[in-house]
Amino acid sequence: MALLELKAVSKQFSRGRGRLLVLDSISTTIEQGQFIAMVGPSGCGKSTLLRIMNGLIPPSAGQVLYQGRQIDGINPECALVFQSFALLPWLSVKANVEMGLEARGVPLVERERRASIYIDKVGLDGFEEAYPRELSGGMKQRVGFARALAVEPKVLLMDEPFSALDALTAISLRGELLDMWQLPDMPVHTMVMVTHIIEEAVELADRIIVMAASPGRIVADLQIELPRPRDKRTEAFNSLTDRIFSLIEERA
Amino acid sequence: MSSAPGIYPIPDINLPQVFGLVEILDDRGGREDGYKLARDLNFNLSELLKVMKAAEILQLVETPGGDLVLLPQGKQFLEADINQRKLIIRQRLREHGLFNYLVRLLATQEERSLAKEVVLEHLAMLLPNEDPEKLFNTLVNWGRFGELFGYNKDEDRFYLDQE
Repeated sequence: MALLELKAVSKQFSRGRGRLLVLDSISTTIEQGQFIAMVGPSGCGKSTLLRIMNGLIPPSAGQVLYQGRQIDGINPECALVFQSFALLPWLSVKANVEMGLEARGVPLVERERRASIYIDKVGLDGFEEAYPRELSGGMKQRVGFARALAVEPKVLLMDEPFSALDALTAISLRGELLDMWQLPDMPVHTMVMVTHIIEEAVELADRIIVMAASPGRIVADLQIELPRPRDKRTEAFNSLTDRIFSLIEERA
Repeated sequence: MSSAPGIYPIPDINLPQVFGLVEILDDRGGREDGYKLARDLNFNLSELLKVMKAAEILQLVETPGGDLVLLPQGKQFLEADINQRKLIIRQRLREHGLFNYLVRLLATQEERSLAKEVVLEHLAMLLPNEDPEKLFNTLVNWGRFGELFGYNKDEDRFYLDQE
């Protein structure tokens, strides 16, 4: 059984007196252990789709199934990482990581235990009492990852997690995310990442869902068989990025 | 009127940028022209020069004539996991004159801590051409990463992390 299944999911938003079809009948399944990237131009509804998977936004039509069961409201087995980090500025790093657990009613002792495990895993030891404004973007996003991982979700959903970072910081965080994903003792091995950077998708994912805009729809679903670690200078890597670029471009 | 011997400033950049630089250098076969890298990454050249300087201070790269060359220690660093990396950084910081000075200074204090204001005075004395506030923030960030120093903003306390 698929971990997560979308059945003919559509989403409309009202715009003025009319309605805007953002997602048009999306059907797909997400299997356990996959690293999936969703790429597409802005306006293709990829971030909306991510939030529908999580239950943060209800679909206008269609169904979201988690392990075969329909999800109404937020799916507690999913955790989100945001482009903007979405940290609370008045809380320390440790308190920010614990926050997601508190919201789920995890008792204090367990909150502290899990916060310390995931602070360690993302390399934030030493920063526990720092406030977000004292941190660089790279360290802020580590807090975002630690907060999401501490929930020990079955699916990690990431919305442009590296887009707010400078080029060098993004390179190092991508590498660390891959390292984490491959660690056997990580609680989550199923990841869905939204990105508009094709190279990033090909570097990280083992499956890429390509979307087009107006209305948002899936135009290709590719398995990425390149061996890891992936070398961006190879012909195979470049021909794949070119192919995805033309898939997006010819529908723009 | 000169700085104490062996005490040099550190550039105000973030360590994850240094790690990204080392990684892309390795991707490109271990040697690259700094200017070309800045252009390819669309990265501000003077910022990149600072990141290069930081990577050199941490003994991960050499920078002969504007080139970047990955050192064997840099390669080892890339192969290490995140917590081994923190240990490597900690070791390199201990060897750096400015960090070494602050470690020795803090070790002689009660509770091994000092108010930020006092640290700023030391920095102004040691490195009169640097902006002490900026330098302090960078020291705290690097020091936290290496788990060498901590800083509690609420109590304004700069301290030596547990050994």
